Formats: sequence, structure tokens, C-alpha cells
Amino acid sequence: MDSLLTEASDTALVLAVARYRQEALAETYRRHAGSVFALAKRVIGDPVLAEEVVQEVFLRLWNDPDKFDPSRGSLRSYLLAQTHGRAVDLLRSEGSRRRREETEARQAAESGYDIEHEVWDLDLAEHVKKAVAVLPEDERRAIQLAYFGGHTYREVATLLDQPEGTVKSRIRAGLKRMRASLGAVGVTESMGT
Amino acid sequence: MTLSHTEIEELLGAYALDAVDADEADAVEQHLRECPRCRDEVAAHRQTAALLAHTGADAPAGVWDRIAGNLEETPPAAERAIPWATPRRRRRVPVIPLMASAMAAAAVVVALLGFTVARQNRRLDRLSLTQSATAALVNPAAHKARLVSADGAMAVDAVVLPDGRGYIVRDSLPALSADRTYQLWSLDGGKAVSLGVLGRNPDVVTFRAGRVPTEMAITAEKGPHGVKSPQHSPIVTGAVSA
Repeated sequence: MDSLLTEASDTALVLAVARYRQEALAETYRRHAGSVFALAKRVIGDPVLAEEVVQEVFLRLWNDPDKFDPSRGSLRSYLLAQTHGRAVDLLRSEGSRRRREETEARQAAESGYDIEHEVWDLDLAEHVKKAVAVLPEDERRAIQLAYFGGHTYREVATLLDQPEGTVKSRIRAGLKRMRASLGAVGVTESMGT
Repeated sequence: MTLSHTEIEELLGAYALDAVDADEADAVEQHLRECPRCRDEVAAHRQTAALLAHTGADAPAGVWDRIAGNLEETPPAAERAIPWATPRRRRRVPVIPLMASAMAAAAVVVALLGFTVARQNRRLDRLSLTQSATAALVNPAAHKARLVSADGAMAVDAVVLPDGRGYIVRDSLPALSADRTYQLWSLDGGKAVSLGVLGRNPDVVTFRAGRVPTEMAITAEKGPHGVKSPQHSPIVTGAVSA
């Protein structure tokens, strides 16, 4: 079973999780926990809270495996959406927001942060970097502040001193533009598994 | 909060990034329940966002141990956990004699009892099929069976919902040669009734039973359309939970 699991598709893994195979959850963890932790830590800025998010996300998969719908995207995309939602919930509680801002200020002093540094796989990184590069600066900043900063579009509007409606549209337009450029070079989300 | 379709659409990017207020999130979610096009758009945005997310480093040491510890300390609902989490040794059913009598009676049974002969529902694509099977596996009302071979090397999970819809999910079952097919049978009262032809290399297959069987078995038969009564001994077999 173990050797089969390491070759199993994400969908097969979730089915095995639904059948309470702990080793299937372990394999899912092996594949995706690094990404989950990295995103949680980036959004919250606190490794201890990020570890709690990792724990919650995988326990949620264990308890509610049927919430994952393979027709709506990969398991990685599902887990990261769960991670992001939970991280943002935590962030929007006052204490962790303050911690995150302290961390952010420190990071900003140490090195210029840019969205291009947030991509991962070497092959994929180049494509994603290009897709980010074609975004107009306003769209790129809005997505960055919303996704990695955990800000609402209203907060982003305040931060960028732009109308709320404009920011809302830019986030959507930017995501569509990125998807189109990634699709044009044959990058699909399944490559991120 | 009531928003027009256009207003909702404008929010979808921000919503996918968890960047809307709570009341807007509620309004979007209400809309998404009824609008497949907007659901698709949110899924697409989330996939794009997932590509941006950083990875590379392993998860911190110790977190898995905490997760695994929680799995043991807080087992899920008993009716869900028992058949799958801790598969108990089943009393071996006297398969061969049962099948011998079954083979004699089955052709008549198929014709007379009018069980729905299940078939793979080809309208369902594999992905939604998988999700339906997953939902059935975690449904506390579902009847479940783990069909295993005599040596324990081959295993298939079966789940039957109270309305007779069922799913077969392969755990370990080798592919057959191109001219053969797996076939699923119910074995109630010593009679084998075909529940469906599973194909030579089944992964997840749906079937429909007239009622929830008490025993199920899978044989390997001549393909591609299967046989009216089993011509071979079962490869895997198991009792269905009450």
C-alpha cells in the first residue's frame, strides 16, 4: 500500500483518506504541507500560528474529505485555498495582525519584497514570473496586497489610495490576465501538484 | 446584502483571494450556489492564486506528529470509522459452494427478480464520479463492504447508499487482459445477481442495486459485456455492513 500510495493520484489519495487510511493523509502531507506552511507563514508572518494552520488544514481534510471536489481543481489548489482562508481569519484578529506588521516591517528593512520571489518550482517559476511581469503595476500590487498581505480590497484601496471599485476590478482583471498568459504557454494548475 | 449579478461578478477576484468583507462573502456564496459560471470563475482564480503560492521548504518537523496524534485521540464518528479505520477480520464466507449453487440459479434470477443490472454510468465523468464516491464513503447511512481475496492481496471497497446507488473503489486489483472484464455480483440467499460489469481495469465505478445486498463478490469473466451467471470463482468477496 505504501509504495502504491506514493504513486497515487491526489484524487485516489483523498478517496483513501475518506476510508480512514492514515498513511494516505501522511502521503498528502508529504506532498503538500510544505506549500501549505509557506503560504500560511507568508500571510500570518508567525511560524507558530502557521503551524497551527497546517494542522487545521490537514485535520479538516481528514474529517471532511468530501469537501474536496476534484472537478474544481487540484488538491494542492484546494488545500492552499483552505490555508489562505484560515490564515486570513487568524490575521484579521488583532493580535496576529500586529505581529505580522512587525515582521513585515522587519522584512522590508532587510530586503525588497516582490511577488516574483514567491513562486516556487524552477520550471513553473519562469512561466509564473513572466505572467506576473505582464501585469500592469496596479494590478500586481493589488493582488499582492490582497493575497500575500491578507488585506480586503477595501483595505488595499486605502493602502494604495485608489477607489475601492477600481481595486476590486483590478484584482479580478489581474487574475484573469495571469491565467490567460499561463494558459497561452501551456501552464495549467495541475502542473502545480 | 443583495447584489446584482454584475456586482457579484466584480467581486469574484477579491472573493477568491479572501479579500472581501463578511457580508459580501455571504452574498457571493449565496450566488455561487445557483450560478455555475461564477463558481467556475472562482475556481479558476483560486487555481491561479495557488500557482503564486510559495513552496519548496518542507513543513516544519513535529507538525505531522501532532496531526497523527490528533487522529488517534479524536477518532471520527463511530459509524464512519468502524468499517474503514479498523477493518476487522471477517468470518470467511463459504464462497465456493455458494457460488456453485449461485451459478445454476443466476440466469433465472436475473430474469425473474428484476434486479436492475447496473452499468457504469458513462454520462458521469470520472471526477464527479470520484467525488460522489467520496461523499458516499463518508455518508453514515451508507452500507459498506470491503471485498478481499482469500490471500488478502487484492481488495476493493464497496459502498451502497440506502436508495441502492453504489460505488466500487479499487484499493488493489490488477488490470485484466483486454478480452476479460471484472463483474460485480450480489450474493443474497445463495443467488448471484449481476450488479454490473466493471471493465478490465476499474478505478471507481458506480452501480445500482435493487436493494442493499448482504454479500458481494467480484469475478473475472469474458469481456467486454460480462456474463449472465458467474463462470468463475470470486476474486474478492465480502459482507455488506447492515
